Amino acid sequence: MFEPQAMTKVIVAGSKDYMGLAIDSLYKHNVVHITDFVDEDEDFKIGKPYAQAVKLSERAVSLRSIASYLSITGKEDVRNRYPAGAITDEIDEKTERLDFEVTQVTDKISDIDSRIKDINDQKRLLDPLRSFDLSLDLYSGYRSLAVFVGTLKTVPSISDITNDFEFQTVPYGKGHAIALFVPREFEDDVFKRLQDQSYSALSLPEMEGTPKDILANLDAQRSELESEKEKSQENLKALRERYTDYILASDEYLSIATQKAEAPLRFATTKNAFIIEGWIPTKSLELVQRDVDRATDAHVMVATDASEAVNVEKVPIALENPMPSQPFEVLVRAFSLPKYNEIDPTTFVALIYPFLFALMLGDIGYGVVIIVIGLVVRRILKSKGIRDLAAILVYAGVITIVFGLIYNEFFGVALVGTGGLILPSYAYPTVPRFDNVLTLLLVTLVIGILMLTLGYVLGFVNEYRQHGLKHAVFAKMSWLLMLYGGVLVIIEILPPLTTGTAISISPPLVGGLVLLVIGLLFLLLDEGILGIAELPSLLSNVLSYSRLLSIGIASAGIALAVNRLSYALFIDKGGVWIIFGVLMLIVGHAVNTALGILDSGLQSLRLHYVEFFTKFYRGGGTKYKPFGYERKYTEEK
Amino acid sequence: MVDPIGGGMVALAAGIAVGATGIGAALGEQMIGSAAVGAMAEDESFFGRGLVMTVIPESIVIFGLVVALILLFVTMPTI
Repeated sequence: MFEPQAMTKVIVAGSKDYMGLAIDSLYKHNVVHITDFVDEDEDFKIGKPYAQAVKLSERAVSLRSIASYLSITGKEDVRNRYPAGAITDEIDEKTERLDFEVTQVTDKISDIDSRIKDINDQKRLLDPLRSFDLSLDLYSGYRSLAVFVGTLKTVPSISDITNDFEFQTVPYGKGHAIALFVPREFEDDVFKRLQDQSYSALSLPEMEGTPKDILANLDAQRSELESEKEKSQENLKALRERYTDYILASDEYLSIATQKAEAPLRFATTKNAFIIEGWIPTKSLELVQRDVDRATDAHVMVATDASEAVNVEKVPIALENPMPSQPFEVLVRAFSLPKYNEIDPTTFVALIYPFLFALMLGDIGYGVVIIVIGLVVRRILKSKGIRDLAAILVYAGVITIVFGLIYNEFFGVALVGTGGLILPSYAYPTVPRFDNVLTLLLVTLVIGILMLTLGYVLGFVNEYRQHGLKHAVFAKMSWLLMLYGGVLVIIEILPPLTTGTAISISPPLVGGLVLLVIGLLFLLLDEGILGIAELPSLLSNVLSYSRLLSIGIASAGIALAVNRLSYALFIDKGGVWIIFGVLMLIVGHAVNTALGILDSGLQSLRLHYVEFFTKFYRGGGTKYKPFGYERKYTEEK
Repeated sequence: MVDPIGGGMVALAAGIAVGATGIGAALGEQMIGSAAVGAMAEDESFFGRGLVMTVIPESIVIFGLVVALILLFVTMPTI
């Protein structure tokens, strides 16, 4: 709970003949974190992957291309798991057949697509000529006539070149479409004239009939092709329906088989033997030892290696927390995984994070909304990280309601007491935020002092375990002494300073000063003169907790503003205006809820990361990645 | 509250304390924030440390806020 899972270093060694069996056995348990072997020398070489690895990856590539044709993304729900054995037997034949079926349909679709594109091109060419009655084959093939068919901006006059011409023109788009027949001898002159009007020629397809008839014909062809395409797409959909289970399952099967086949790349091998170095959670050690022993007939042995247990840098980290606080691991991971000999702060985060969040938001209404949002998100979304965040939101929501009761706030309105929404005549002792700013400010600072204390105590434990008592006292106890010395001194001298009276020498003041001096001495011994530069951070860390109050007041202030505005602007006027008023209430409080979640969430996180974690937590651990696979679509016999 | 002008001055001072420190904090966070996002684009695991660094200048505005609160709730009633 307060520490990462205990790990034991293991060395798996045996004859190469039994390597496959050992891989199978280790893979099945999915617990050994393999340290990749990299330092090749005369005796030990990096292992070679099994021969089937190439074939497996090839097959995986073709399967994934089928999957992408069928738009299978891997997020689909599957009804039944495939028995792994069934896939092994039929994967070759079935994938080939599937490939054939899918390619047939997709080829047809792309063929139709290209034909539709051709038709569209032809239509685009013929469209300007729509109202010309001349059959298409009559636009070309003359010996003595030059023909210009195309579009241009404005129709030029060519009567100064020749009067011997046949000219048809219609407005088309922003300009005109023309068909112009002139004797060959004037071709060049006329062409220049046309070019001045940005003439662009249409290269007409070789077809018969008037453009109008051809266009109608093309339209008919296109709609026929489109309905054909639709049919093919339905076929594709049917294929998808039928084969999703199989494709996901065989993809998983191939991933597993490939990982197993490529596993030797992480081993050290000699001519006849192999060695795997890795880490295993201590609690799984015996089980794996026994199983590998049985699977390989005692030809491969799993031995523990205590020689390197002290090198905490290399131990992979698996967090281990009881169910209720597990969601908070995501916040710790986002900062950094702990080192092996560090305290895992998840439990403290689980206890403090929702509390700080609720202290800021503190409203019964918002609390309920947040709980609902959290539960809905947990129900709908599947991603583990998001689900964890939603669980945290639910915890925070519950405590937000508690603080809402204390602050007597329900969507910014008082719930009980004078002016109360539900029970105006009844009142329990509440602490309305706007009337108790100074008290709450003090409370937040006390919370800050307590959290820093906890941080330094945890830091003391960490330092003690890593570097011994002396260092722990100098590095952490020093700050703790200065923190409390400073608090005592400030309590004693602040009232006289604000009122302007003389500061009297009292025992607490002397005690505080003594603590400060001792703490400073320890700090100087530990960090030298540079340590003094960090002194002001103590004050800013404590004051930083005053954001608990300010964020809360801002959030309550927005709620109050929404309520007052909607009442004064709309609801007070009655009639139809009430609808607008209610609308404004809903939108306003929705925005404020979103702000509340974001702001309270981030600020609470910040108080952990910056003020709390920096006192004891460094992190930087390696993630525990066991050799194995969590099957989703297949099952082993 | 006896002196409206004095009270107004105190309120203005409180406003300036929060506003000016807010600008200061924003200038600091602007630079650190863009650098932190850049680092995160390279390596997503930088999020936690990036957040820590980005919010360091925030203490400035918190100081301003504390000053404002003291002005409003300690000094103001004495005027």
